This record gives sequence, C-alpha cells and structure tokens, in this order.
Amino acid sequence: MSRANGTLKLEIRKVVKNFGGLQALKGVSLTIEGSQLVGLIGPNGAGKTTLTNIISGLLRPTSGQIWFNGERIDTLRPYHIARKGIGRTFQVTRAFRRMTVLENMLAPGIVKHPYMSRRELEKKALEIMEFLTIDHLRYERAGNLSGGQQKLLELARLLMLDPQLIILDEPFAGVHPKLQRTIYDYIKRVREQGKAIILISHDMESIFTLSERLVVLNFGEIIADGPPEEVKNDPAVIEAYLGRDEEEEHDLRRAY
Amino acid sequence: MEWMAPNLFPVAWMSVSSTYVIRLILEGLLIGVIYALMALGLTLIFSVLNIVSFAHGEFYMIGGYVVYVLLNKFKALPGPAALILAAVVTFTIGAVFERLFLQPMARGQVDRPSEYAILVTFGLSFVLQYIMLAIMGPFPKKAPRFFSFPKLDLGFLRTTRTTLFLGEIPLPGGRIFAAVIAVLALMAILYFMYRTWTGWALQAVSQDRNAAAVVGINPLNMNTLAFALGGMLAGLAGAVLVTVFSWVPWVGVPASAKSFVIIVLGGMGSIPGSLVGGLILGVVESLGTGFWPNPATAQAYRDVFGLIMFALVLLVKPTGLFGRKL
Amino acid sequence: MTFRRIYVLWVLTGVFLLGLLFYPVLPKVNLQSYWLLVGMTALFYAILASSWSLLAGYTGQFSFAHMAFMGLGTYAAGIMIRDWGLTPWIATIAGVLVTGVVGWLIGYLCLRLRATYLALFTIAFAEIFRLVVKAEVKITGGPNGLEMPPYQRPEAFDRLMKAILPYWDANQYVPAYYTMALLFFLSLLFMFFLVRSRFGLFFRAVREDEEAAAALGVHVVNTRVLAFVVSSMIAGLAGIVFHHFIGLVVPDEMIIGRMSLIIAMAVIGGSQNLVGAALGAIFIHFALEWLQQIPMPLPVLERLLFLESWGFSVDLQAGLLRTNAWRMVGFGILLMLTLRFAQNGLISPILDWLARKEAVEEVAKRFQAQRDMGAVDAVQPVTSPANPTDDLEAEGEKA
Repeated sequence: MSRANGTLKLEIRKVVKNFGGLQALKGVSLTIEGSQLVGLIGPNGAGKTTLTNIISGLLRPTSGQIWFNGERIDTLRPYHIARKGIGRTFQVTRAFRRMTVLENMLAPGIVKHPYMSRRELEKKALEIMEFLTIDHLRYERAGNLSGGQQKLLELARLLMLDPQLIILDEPFAGVHPKLQRTIYDYIKRVREQGKAIILISHDMESIFTLSERLVVLNFGEIIADGPPEEVKNDPAVIEAYLGRDEEEEHDLRRAY
Repeated sequence: MEWMAPNLFPVAWMSVSSTYVIRLILEGLLIGVIYALMALGLTLIFSVLNIVSFAHGEFYMIGGYVVYVLLNKFKALPGPAALILAAVVTFTIGAVFERLFLQPMARGQVDRPSEYAILVTFGLSFVLQYIMLAIMGPFPKKAPRFFSFPKLDLGFLRTTRTTLFLGEIPLPGGRIFAAVIAVLALMAILYFMYRTWTGWALQAVSQDRNAAAVVGINPLNMNTLAFALGGMLAGLAGAVLVTVFSWVPWVGVPASAKSFVIIVLGGMGSIPGSLVGGLILGVVESLGTGFWPNPATAQAYRDVFGLIMFALVLLVKPTGLFGRKL
Repeated sequence: MTFRRIYVLWVLTGVFLLGLLFYPVLPKVNLQSYWLLVGMTALFYAILASSWSLLAGYTGQFSFAHMAFMGLGTYAAGIMIRDWGLTPWIATIAGVLVTGVVGWLIGYLCLRLRATYLALFTIAFAEIFRLVVKAEVKITGGPNGLEMPPYQRPEAFDRLMKAILPYWDANQYVPAYYTMALLFFLSLLFMFFLVRSRFGLFFRAVREDEEAAAALGVHVVNTRVLAFVVSSMIAGLAGIVFHHFIGLVVPDEMIIGRMSLIIAMAVIGGSQNLVGAALGAIFIHFALEWLQQIPMPLPVLERLLFLESWGFSVDLQAGLLRTNAWRMVGFGILLMLTLRFAQNGLISPILDWLARKEAVEEVAKRFQAQRDMGAVDAVQPVTSPANPTDDLEAEGEKA
C-alpha cells in the first residue's frame, strides 16, 4: 500500500482551545517526526479528544498552529486535512449506518483515488477487510454490525485513505477480547507499513506495550513526554492519576 | 426592456421629511411587536424540543380564522373573549399534534428524528392549510374591527375613532390595538417563563433534558407544553391581526417566513434574540417599503428585505445576534 | 430457488413502460386532450417528486423551493424569449442554467449549516419569490401569468413521428405527452446513474454522518451543493418544458400548497427511492383526479347533503360528490401517517423487496456457515436463517 515514509512530520505549536470560559488546551506543543507510535493518555477531561478534533480539523484552535509536512493545516477544513493524509477514528464508532460495508469502504477510496476503477478499489477494500475479518460482511448494512465489527469497519475504512498519520481514539473501548486481538494486529501491521499513529486509550496495558513514545495530557497541558518506561515513573504522571478516577487508577496500577 | 433600468430617484426620495421616517419607524415597531410575539413561540418550541415548527404560520392562520368565525357568528361576543378562544383552540391543536406526532420522536421511536421533524411539521401545515381552504374557501376574509378609540384631543395626541395621531403622524387604531395586545401577551409569557415554576421547568428542560428529568421534571410533558404554547403565541398574533389584514388560508406562509428570519437573526433558541429580531425586522421592512422607488410594487417587496437580512445573517454570522453555538 | 423476485420487478417495469408508451390510446384516455393533460401533468409531478427525493432522500436536505425553482426556470426562459427573442429551445437551456446559478448561490449560503437552515431559507425564498413575481407585472405579467410560446418542431420530424405513431397529430397534447414521457424517462435515468455513481456514495455518506464523512475526505459542502443544484436544475427543466406545452405560467403554481403536494407524493411513494417517489406522484395525481368527483348512488348522496356546509359539493343531478379541497387534506393526513409509521414510504419498500440482491442471500448463507464454525464472534446477524426473506434493504429495522 502506502510507501514507508520517513519524512512525515506533524508539528503542534502552542495550541490553545477555549470553550466559553473553559480552557480545554493551554498551549500544547508537540512534534511527531517520522513514523512513530505515540500513545496519548490523560485523565478524563484532559483534552485528548479536543486535541484530536483540532488536528483533524473538526475544531479550530483558539490560537496556535498545526503544521503537517511543512504545510499549515489548522485553517483547513476536515476533508482537506483527510486528503493530506491524516486519518482518524472516533471514540464512538461512526460508520455510515445505512450503507453497506463495502460502500463504507469505497467512499474514502474514491476520495483518495478518484481515477482508480471501481473493480480495483473493491479489490483493495477486500484486502483490507479480509485482514480485519469483516470481508464476509461486505454486503451487510453497517448499522447491522455489532459494535466491535463497526469499530473494525472504521479502522478498515481509514486505510482506504492511505493516510500517513492515523489517530485512533479509544480503539479498544468496549470491544470483545477476540476483536481486541485483531485491532492489536492491525496496529502492528499499520506500523510496519511505516505510518505514524497517535493512539489514545484508557487501556494502559496495551498502550504501554504498543507505544514507542508516551505523551501525558492533564488539564490541557502536556505533563510528560518520553519513552513509556520513563513516563511510567514520572511523579507528575502518578500525581495526575492518583485519586482522580478509580478505574484509570486501577488501569495504571495494573500496568505497573 | 425599460424594467432593466428602474427609476432609482423618484420624487419620494427628494422630499423625505423626518416625520415620514419617524412614522415609518413607529409603524415598523408596531408590527414588529407582533412579529416578536410569533417568533417567541417558535423560539420556545426550538429551545425545548430542538426542532423548528414549519407549521407555525398555520397556527397564526387558524388563530385569525377562529376570531373571524366567532365575531361573525356571535355578534354579541366581546373581542377579548374571541382572542382567548383563539388561543385555546391553537393551544389544543398544538398539544394534540405534539402528543400524536412529536412525542414518538422524543421517545426515540422514529428514525432520523431531525428529518422527521421537518417533514412532519410541514405535513401539519399542509393539512391545516387545506382544511381551512375546504371550510373557509379561497376568498379573502376580514374580521370586523371590535375596538375603537374614545375621542381624545390632548394637543400632541389626538384620536379619531379609527386613528391615533401623534402630532402629524397618523397611526391606524387596529394596529395599535394589536400591538398592545401583543405586548400584554409578551409580558405574560415572559412572566410565565421567568417567574413561575412551570416556566423554570421549561427552561430547565431546554438547557439539559436529562438533568431536568433527574430532578423530577417530565420532559415529555414540557415538550407538549412548549409546542402548544408556541402554537398559541402564533395563534394570538393571528387573532389580533385578522382585523387588520385580509385573511386567506395561506396567509400563514409569509408570516412564518418572517418568524424564520427573526429566529435566525436573533439566534436560534434565544428569547431576547427573538424580541429584538422582531422589532428589527419590523422597522427594516417598514423603512424598506417606505423608501421603495416604485410604490405600486412596494408592498410585494416588504418581505424581500427580510429575505435579504436572512441571507446576510447566514453569510456573516449564522449563529445570529444572541445565538448559542450550534 | 426457481422463482426469483427480480423477475417480477422486470415484468412490472416492462408493464409500466408499456403503459407509459401507450397511455394516449388506452380505452378511457382515447386521445382526449383532457386525459392527455392529466397524464402529462402526472409525469411533470413525477419528475418534480423524484428530483426532490434526490435531494431529500439521498442527502437528507430539504428544499421547500423546488416549485419556486421550477417557476424560476420557466419565468427566466419565458422572459428571455419575449425580451431577447431567443428561440424556445435555446431559452430552455438558458433557463435551466439560471436555475443552476441561483441554486448554487442558495446552496452555498445554506448548506454549510445544518439541514434546518436550508429548509428555513428555501421556504422563505419560495414564498417571497412568488410574491415578487406576482407584483412585477411589467416583467412577469403578474397574476395573469406569462405566455410561453410552443416549441418549433421541424416538419420532417413530425412526418417521421406520424409514420411511427399514426395518432401523433391527433391533437396538440399527443406530442406534448410524449415529450414529457421522454423527459421523465431521461431524467429518471440520469438521476439513477448519478446515485449509483461515486456522487451517490458521497451523498449518502454525508447524510449518514457529516463529520465522519469529512474526516474521510469527503467534501461535505460541495457534495450537498451538487445535489441541490442538480435537483433544482431538473425541476427547472421540467417546468420549462411542461409550460412550453401548456402555453402559460402563472405565479400561483408556485404556492406552498403545491410544494406540499410534491413532498407528499415523494414521501408517500418513498423518498429514499427515486422510482418510488415518481410512482407515488403518478398514483397520487390520478387518485386526486378520481377523488375530485366520486360517483355515488342518489340515496347516499341525499344523506350527504349536510357536507355542503363543510366545503364539499353534492351534485344530485350528476350523482357526484365533489370533494374540492378535502382530497388534499386526505393526502396531507396520509403524508403525516406515512412519515410516522412507514418512514420509507408505501411504494419503495415493495420495490426494494423485489430488487433485493441475490448476493445478500448468498452472503448471509456464508456468514451463517462461518458462524456455525465459530469463526465469527460477538455478532448479531440480522439475516436470521429462520426468516431468509427478512428485508435487509428496508430501513427502520433498527430499534
């Protein structure tokens, strides 16, 4: 599929986002260079989803800039950003419910490859779907799939865009363990193709094993950034997690 | 081809006096109050049910026809009683429709609720228009005036039976009466919204349905109440205007178009927005019509100014003057 | 399975096309200009309803200015013929272009926002446009309408058609009917290919989930504007062609009640399906025609005399009950009930059921096999083998 790309570079420069009086992001700066798997964690309300929405263009930052491969993208519309090679999934799956699985796959495919024939596109889509074990559902309506399958469909759909950078928002949340395995493999395979990934997850176990670099957001600020082992022992991180959210705390402990 | 170059500077432009402008503004405010009343109904519906009622103009139309029929059938009936009955009828229609067709939406029994809401309210407007066409016929009707001024002469303020003079400026009595009723209704509804328990419950539902439900307010009942009240406000607006304008079954369509302009101008779901927007629209229309170069077509262009405002708002600030974020 | 539903669909299509072709010589119609006019009006409405459902059913946007665009195109063409001396053929193209440009402007204004705004703006635009047309007597002819000169046909063409159809010149409405039928067929075909193309895919993606579609690179605004412009231009074209044969266009054709009727037709037929909407329009138009005067035995009619004061007319001599505006009320109520209880309309679910892909069944079988082997987990199959006729294409099976 897409060539291995070492030149990829995403720069987030002092991004601030206000919602009314609430400051969701307080000047976040982050650079992702080359193909990396960056884990993004933080307690609820830390601004993770806001940040992904800003990167993918669904929200405009109040101030600050985002550059992707030497181009400023924070002023672009989401569909332009998607065409530049940043793909994302949503926390709550958002398949096109009344379209078939195959049609779900073709829509972004046509966007990216307007001149490719339908047959070729379908072949490409089938390859991806086969890998994600949803090829047998290709004529099924997406709305009829189970939650986990819809998640797989979202991941599959994303690859039709041939993105260079993929943002996965909670891919493991509420997914059957067996499908979790599939998503795991998916992430690994996508990594092998040289794409960069930003992974947001509450599942500490997977995020610590998968990511090469871990960024911790808290109250709209980056409080730690580095290899997972370092971040794990960062006192500020432990501080941020302690007593905030039972479940997350539990997750963090288990990961230790 | 002469229409390609209209006469832009007719005599009217040259002889603009300040009294003329003031008169136009006053007329605009008088009608603007009624627009505001109607738009407030739409705002109420939008803020609680989160839908726009495309049948709003038909409530206006029904309100007018109720007054017309009552005043014609029962000559002895006092005007205010007719107004109250019009309000009751439109309230009932709104409540019944909400229960039958909008409640399933709130209960989640309908696919694609936002699309359903647009079409089903539009369907209601279709039904009401043709019912009234079938019963009342297509010919314009006008209700008798049931109000006349006492004779007054206070120098600056004079009245005849039908007209009130502010200095040089004549103001038709029917419109003043309509505006006064509208102001009273506005005050009543604002009092209800801000000073009574039920009003607070309505506001609570409009701000957060689930939170309201948790503290013991039944959002479904509030939906019905809001839709019925909204329809009633439009019905009242129609009831007071039926003595001023002539009434046909599709009279509600331009009226609802005006309400749409106002709620978009004021910001969807904003109560102050609909009040201010109504007055602005009234004045803009009045001034625009007053200065329109060709008096023969001026009345037809009255609504065009609203449409232009609508387009400008969409272009410049789609959230409107006081709008909350969409 | 030896019997396949798709065959039924093909047969029905064939019957419909034959009916379309031979309508003028059907026994009751029998080349009477009245019935030819009814037929071509039904086709006119069918084009409008199906082009409206292209926008409503496929992109989830509602335009209440469809009739206004029809009128806009017609008036533009008529005025260009009168003032600039264009021939009707060129004016037709120019008129359609005018609708396209206005449609593009309005679309660009409203379609960046959510669906309600287009609905709000178009309803205001439609009504105000009608009032202005009515008032500008000098330009548009005002309430009396604007004359639309007929199309010039080369004589050779008429001779050719006469050779094919012996009754071609029986009266002026025969060519008119066939032109409308051709236009109906072509516009349906065009829209059919449009929704089968990549654009149809985008239309539906944007309708399903605007944000997700945008995040996958679908240009949301342009996609909607395209649907709106195409749908408006088809309305304009239908209006121009129709009125060239009628000879006159009046502003009251654009009243919102007429627009409601188009919507009722599309929704009752099924706005998710172009053919469903078109069939809905044809059925409803003929139903309205029939309901206009219902023949009834005299004793019944005498008992119905009280209806006179409710807007019906009872014609004792002819033995007819005239329903006047009440038939429209009936269809309005049917529209609301359809919306409430059968959101996909009454006709298109049948078509969908007939057209259901065999592939779906096959996939369902394979799927079942895989599930039996335990290869697929955590799956809620909708096509349960116990009920293989379960309609996959139908909407609304989700609770």
